[in-house]
Amino acid sequence: MINRWPQNLTNKPTILYEKSLRSGQNINFDGNVVVLGDVNPGAEIVAGGHILVMGRLRGVVHAGAAGDEDATITALSFAPTQVRIASHITRPPDGGEYGDRPPEIARIRDDNVVIEEYQPPR
Amino acid sequence: MGKVIVITSGKGGVGKTTTTANVGTALAMLGKKVVMVDTDIGLRNLDVVLGLENRIVYDLVDAVRGNCRLKQALIKDKRLENLFLLPAAQTKDKTAVSTDQMTELCEKLKEEFDYVIIDCPAGIEHGFKNAIAGAESAVVVTTPEVSAVRDADRIIGLLEAAGIGAPLLIINRIRANMVRTGDMMGVEDILDILAVDLLGIVPDDDAIVISTNKGEPTVFDDNSRPGLAFRNIARRINGEDVPLMNLDEKQGFFGKLKSLFKSE
Repeated sequence: MINRWPQNLTNKPTILYEKSLRSGQNINFDGNVVVLGDVNPGAEIVAGGHILVMGRLRGVVHAGAAGDEDATITALSFAPTQVRIASHITRPPDGGEYGDRPPEIARIRDDNVVIEEYQPPR
Repeated sequence: MGKVIVITSGKGGVGKTTTTANVGTALAMLGKKVVMVDTDIGLRNLDVVLGLENRIVYDLVDAVRGNCRLKQALIKDKRLENLFLLPAAQTKDKTAVSTDQMTELCEKLKEEFDYVIIDCPAGIEHGFKNAIAGAESAVVVTTPEVSAVRDADRIIGLLEAAGIGAPLLIINRIRANMVRTGDMMGVEDILDILAVDLLGIVPDDDAIVISTNKGEPTVFDDNSRPGLAFRNIARRINGEDVPLMNLDEKQGFFGKLKSLFKSE
């Protein structure tokens, strides 16, 4: 009941970045990454585990970089340049407009990266 | 064997990346197989101007260091089949690549492409040296400002010292009305100082801002005047003889009327 996340991920270390990540800046960490700020276009996060952005995600993010297909990417405002989970890679359609939307989460389902409204685990 | 052409300027903001994107695209529209190489590591822009940013997985540094095959780093344009981009790395710095590695990369690329167009970073340091390392010829971009022309002069000297002789000049962002009133340097004034051959002149136009922000090169727009200028430049690079465009075209009815009376 406490654990919706797989055990092997919750045991991973987590780092907290308390600023926005600007173009050219990157975080490369074998664990979960939490950003208290925005991730701008041109910035990159590569994480062994989950990625959580408490702000606007507009850069490139790679969760489960070592191959963990259970890794997820969550952002308050989800508008990334590109999303990668494990060996899966996807990008938003060209010319897509982002309106005001609720927080969203990306994860792998049936071998596809699926992006949907974030629902807290109950 | 293709040609390797570096687009450089010394000064920033004069339109190297815009020129690279448009000339590269226009050459591809002529049916040539073209690759554009962004060597501005750490401050890459060419991918954004071309609207290809979200397709980048590997970059120039990955390709040069063997983290991936060269083919994997090449991004095919979304509009033209025969146009490719080799993006710069964004999270590394310019020392990530050596001049020898750049030379080797250009050698490999020109086996496969008719034109290898290299977008040079501003400045004259490591990034500039990397960008010109594998180039056989150079196009210098300047604007009609004293500072830009000064830097272009410096660059032409450095290119000659590096054995890349006889660079061709593009004068960007000319405003015909200001040249006419004597408030802006004219083509002749600039050629007087730089003493190089002119490849083309590009008028200052709002269309560039719009196309850059949309990630769509202005050469795709038949009604764009800078688009026409860049298409002409591509045809000249490709060996055609195309006359310079008339900058006064846009003066409108009253302007034409006025100049009619003036010529009396």
